[in-house]
Parts: sequence; structure tokens; C-alpha cells
Amino acid sequence: MKKTLLLAIVMLACVAIKAQDAPTSQHLAKLPAVDIQTPDGHVFNTKDIQNDGKPIIVSLWATWCRPCVAELTAIADEYEDWVEELGVKLYAVSIDDAKTSARVMPFVNGKGWDYTVLLDVNSDFKRAMNVNDVPYMCILNGNGEIVWQHTSYAPGAEEEVYEVLKSLTSK
Amino acid sequence: MFVLLLVSAFGTTFAQHQLGNSRISGDFGFNGMYYIPDSLIGADKVDSKVRANAFINLLYSNGGFSAGVRYEYYQFPLIDFEKINYKGQGVRYFFADYKNDFIQVTAGNFYEQFGNGLSLRAYEDRQLGIDNSLLGARIRITPYKGIRITGVWGVERLNFESYQGRQDYVRGLDGEVSLGEIIPKMQEKGFTANIGASFVSKFEKADEPILVMFYPETDTSAPGVIATDKIPQNVPVWAARASFGYKGFRLDGEYAQKMQDPNVTNDFIYKKGDALFLSAAYSMKGFGVAASLIRADNMDFRTQRMQKTNSLLFINNIPAINRQYSYQLISNYSFASQPNSQIGAQIQINYLIPKKTKIGGKYGTNLTFNYSRFHNTDQQPVALATEYGTLSGTDGYTSSFFKFGPDLLYQDIGLEIHRRLTKKWELTLAYNYITYNLEKLQGHVGMMRGHLVAADLQWKVNSKHALRLEAQHLYTKDDKGSWLYGMLEYSISPRWFISVGDQFNYGNPDPTYRLHYFNVAGAFIWNTTRIALNFGKTQEGILCIGGVCRAVPASYGVGLSVTTSF
Repeated sequence: MKKTLLLAIVMLACVAIKAQDAPTSQHLAKLPAVDIQTPDGHVFNTKDIQNDGKPIIVSLWATWCRPCVAELTAIADEYEDWVEELGVKLYAVSIDDAKTSARVMPFVNGKGWDYTVLLDVNSDFKRAMNVNDVPYMCILNGNGEIVWQHTSYAPGAEEEVYEVLKSLTSK
Repeated sequence: MFVLLLVSAFGTTFAQHQLGNSRISGDFGFNGMYYIPDSLIGADKVDSKVRANAFINLLYSNGGFSAGVRYEYYQFPLIDFEKINYKGQGVRYFFADYKNDFIQVTAGNFYEQFGNGLSLRAYEDRQLGIDNSLLGARIRITPYKGIRITGVWGVERLNFESYQGRQDYVRGLDGEVSLGEIIPKMQEKGFTANIGASFVSKFEKADEPILVMFYPETDTSAPGVIATDKIPQNVPVWAARASFGYKGFRLDGEYAQKMQDPNVTNDFIYKKGDALFLSAAYSMKGFGVAASLIRADNMDFRTQRMQKTNSLLFINNIPAINRQYSYQLISNYSFASQPNSQIGAQIQINYLIPKKTKIGGKYGTNLTFNYSRFHNTDQQPVALATEYGTLSGTDGYTSSFFKFGPDLLYQDIGLEIHRRLTKKWELTLAYNYITYNLEKLQGHVGMMRGHLVAADLQWKVNSKHALRLEAQHLYTKDDKGSWLYGMLEYSISPRWFISVGDQFNYGNPDPTYRLHYFNVAGAFIWNTTRIALNFGKTQEGILCIGGVCRAVPASYGVGLSVTTSF
């Protein structure tokens, strides 16, 4: 019984990994439409994550998540240049819940980040995105299609993000 | 098993394919461990050495319609999940949902939060084994932009136990008005204001008396029994909230009150419960300050009055507002929310010393200061309780609202400095002084007072390779004494991580227990897939996420974790 389980799980994992190789000729997925909040407490539907046909970075993060903060801090050093050069916009969707959500804006400003901040206080967007753990980041092309996604953060990963963004705008 | 295989076949065919407007996506998680007994650290021999938690989520969406299902396999779960009885397998989450600009209708399982969650919060935290989803229906309408009304009805999930025969359910109604959205002029001038109110009621059939040690107020003929007709079957909670913002300033507040709810966590008292949550924040570029205050008294609100296992069957969520740390050595001294008795405050200041200045350096320097303090609430037993020598069956106690109770539960003073030294070097230094009430929060004896010093140094070898050193020292004479921790992590972006670490309890009062807890780990990341292997020892303790904690038994062994989304 346990062996069958293990087999099934390994199969499933392989399938899942293979699935990511889905040919790009297919229609690419877009963001799900989920109601979350702006820092002002207004309802914000994630279908309104837009940037006038220019690329978008969506980051799922939390104030208590060390690698998330490291990733956003690393990008912050480059962000001004990216905006100027590529016209990119970064949406930092915080999954902080009621315990810490009031501290998100002071935290973001205290860090001097220029990102567009949204709050997903009961993880509805995270669930709809099938995200297991933060940090999670994805890049949308000008049509709002997800062209790249990644979980975890290792120092230097921001360079791959830059490369992807560059390839989008040079097309 | 067939379900799993079927699901995987299904997954292959449709994964990440968008056919017209319809889309199928999902995620999968596996967390397994091979256990090795170690009597010194207290890792007992377990009956099945190989254990695993696994689940798969599938989501289908097409325009405004979406549906989802989750299959969980926890038949031989990790030992900490077995401890909280999160054991079994099957589909315990499925839903169908339709949404347009006016209405949203959900049938099946759903998660929901009213306001800050003081009256209702159905949520999940997979690491903690919490899944409070409701099985039933939800309707949300937006009659006018800026106005939202939500109604819910459902039976709360209890691990893998059957919903059949359940005699309890929850219903709730919530209304919210965002004035800033209704009056655009207000928003243009930088003002926002929101108000909201909710009403939640649980029903639980009372068909047998409760046996407790008490003498009833009215009827002394049967001491020790709360008669069936004296047990409230309906327990309502109402809450009201408001928030106000002007440019970088924001003020939030919510108050909730619970009607009579004698239950096992409050010693079967008839006192009403209440909670107040206030927060104020101000921020501008480079500076932020946030302060909050919470008071909760007798607000443990669950669907079953005899349930006392931590984290099970909660309808609401009283947040623990202390700062949450990721430092290894103080993870066991993390404050856990006390819904029945806590009053406290927290303040956090973030400041960025500007870049290209003498003190700020080339890249700027981040400072974070933090202070929090929590007590229990002031409680004076009512005359009858004193007379009978027990609170049960009486109104319990009186409590003056803003008075701090006699017991300090938790205090934290902390300062953190983060600075990028050069293009290649980055340093974070932190100091914390923590006071933690072992007796009230863990059932052990006394208080833990400790100084934590932590350093995190990162060296970017080149554009892809980085080495990170974490070093921590906890100095204390209490509990298990002082600890040292060191961890080296090498990463090759964006795919590989490898780390070695050791946690050493050098200050344990008993020399036999001056133990090392080593850990070797590696991880491989590919897009949204993460595969991690680790080998090492974990000390007995508690795991806290968001102020909710559960016990973690000591363990030793090899672990494998795989997560992916598609």
C-alpha cells in the first residue's frame, strides 16, 4: 500500500514537472480574477493588475518572510533603472493577515520601496494562483499572460528576472 | 489510490493549458520523513518509520465560473500531525463558484474572513495543520460600487472526521461600505474611510447536561451539573469596525462581543466575551511607524463547546500582534494568541537612513525598532464564584476594560540593522530582549528572560553564487539555558541551495542535555517546483505561525519535500 502511494506520488511529481514544459504555442495562462484589497481597504480585483501593455512583475510575499524581503530589497536597488528602461511595474501582493497587515505599508515605506502594494489577507489570491509557499514571483507580458514564474529566492535571481523582462520588451 | 492516479493522468492532459477561456491549474505537495529514534533528544521510536503528508489541488476556471477539488493523503502523517489528529485521507475540500460584478455564489467548501477576523475567520495554514473551511454556501453581493454584503452558512471542517451526524453549524452576515469608492472626490483628496459590521452565530445542539465542579445559581438540587436547558444552543457574536486614512496616515479599529457561551476553555462561565483591536500607522517614503493594541477576554469561539485542542474548530481568530521573527533560537519563545485573556500593545518603527549619505552609506541602511508587551486581562471572580470556590456555572469574573492583568505573558524589545556594505557584501544585525511566560504559554514553570544576538552575513561570490552565514546566540539562565546557532548556506541562483547548520544547547543546566542539533539540507528549484532533502535533528518545541502555535515533537531523520504548481 505504502509502495503504491510512493509510486503514485513520484509519478504525480514527474507529471507536474513535465507539465511545466507545456509548449509555448498554447494559450498562456492569465492571472485569476480574485477580490483582494488595496492598502486603503478598498476592494481590488486581480484582473485589474495592468500596465498599459508593458511587462508586469507580481510578487507574493509577507513582512515576516526573510527571503521575500531579501528578494524585494535586491530588486529595489535596480527598480528605478528597470522602470526607466523597460517600463515595468511591480505588484507586491502581501499575504500578511490581520495580525500584521496594518504594518505592511509602514514596512514598505520604511524600506523605501516603490512597488504597488496589495493585500491578500486571507490568502484567496495565493490559493487561486496555486502557490504553496512564498516567495513566489511571476512575470506577465504585455497581454497579461504569465510567461515566467518562480518560487524561492537565491541572491542573484533578480538577474534572471531582468533577462526575462528584457526579452519581452525587445520583441 | 485510483483517485490519485486518475488525477495525475487528468493533470498531464490539461496542465497549464488554456483552451479558449477555460483553464485548469493545480498544485501538489509532498512532505515525507524517515524517522530514526534518538533517546537523548527525546525522539521516540515511532510505529511507522516512513511517514508523509501529501495533497493535490485542482482548479478549473472559465470566465466567472470556477471549481476546485483537493485530495489529501495523511494516512500515515508526520508525527506532529498525528499528534493533533490530522490523520486520514480523502476529499475534504471541493467547491463551485460563480462570480460577476454584482454577485458571487459559492457552494461547497470555502474560506472567509469578516473584517479582522474577530467574529469569523475560516482559513488554512498547511504547515500548522489548520483547515477551518466551512462546508456550505456563501453569497456575496455588490449592489453598488463600494458596498459589499456577504452571507455564509456552513459546517466547519474537523480534520478528517465525517460531516455526517454533525449537530453544529455557523451562519454569518457581513456588510462593508467603502466611502472612498462611493465618493470619488474624497479619494482624490487623499481621504479613505470604511465601515463594516458583522453578525455571526453558531448553533450547536445541547442534548446532554455538562458535568462540572460547580453549584448552580438557581437550582442547588443537582450540584455539579449544568442542565441541558441551561446550555445556550445559539451563541451569537457581533462586531463593528471602521477605518480612516488620510495620505500616509491610517487608523483601524474593530470591536466584537460574544454572548453567553459556557465552554470547556472558559470553565463554563456565563460571562459575555469581548475583543478590541486598534491600530494606527503612519508612513512616508523612508519612514514608517505602526502601533496596535489588542484586548481579548473570553473570546475563544468554536463550533463545539467541548473542543479544547489548540487550533481546532475556531470560528473566529484573535490575532497575536507581536512581531513575528524567523530567528531559529527564539522560535520556541514566540507569543501565542490567548483569545480568552490578553491585553497588550505593539509598536514598530522602520527607518531608512538615505543612501549616498555619510551614515546611510552608498546603499542606505535599514533600521527596525520593535516593542511589544502582553499581559493577561484583569479578572476578579464574582461573589458567587468565590462562595462556591469555582467559576463554572456562574458569571465567572468581572474585568476592568483597560487594566492590565497581573501576569506578564510576553515582552519583546528589538532592534535590527540591515545594510548593504558593498556590491558583494550585505549584513543584518539584530538584538532582542525577550521575556516569555513559560507557565502561561507552555504549561512549564517560570519565565524565560533571554538576550538574542543575531547576525546574517551575505557574500555574493559572483552574479549567481552566494554564501550566507547566519549566527545566533541566545543568552539565558532560564528554561533550557543558553544556545548557539550557526548556519552556512551556499546558493547557485536560481536553482540550487545547500546548507549545513548546528544548534547547540551549551548552557543546559543538566550537562547530559548539552546537545547538538545538526542539520544538512539541499534544495533544487525549477520554476514553481521545489524539491528539498534534509537530514538532521529537530528539538522538541513549538511551531508558531501568525500567533497560532502547535507542539512539535523532537525528531531525527531524513526528510523529503516536494511542492509544485502547474
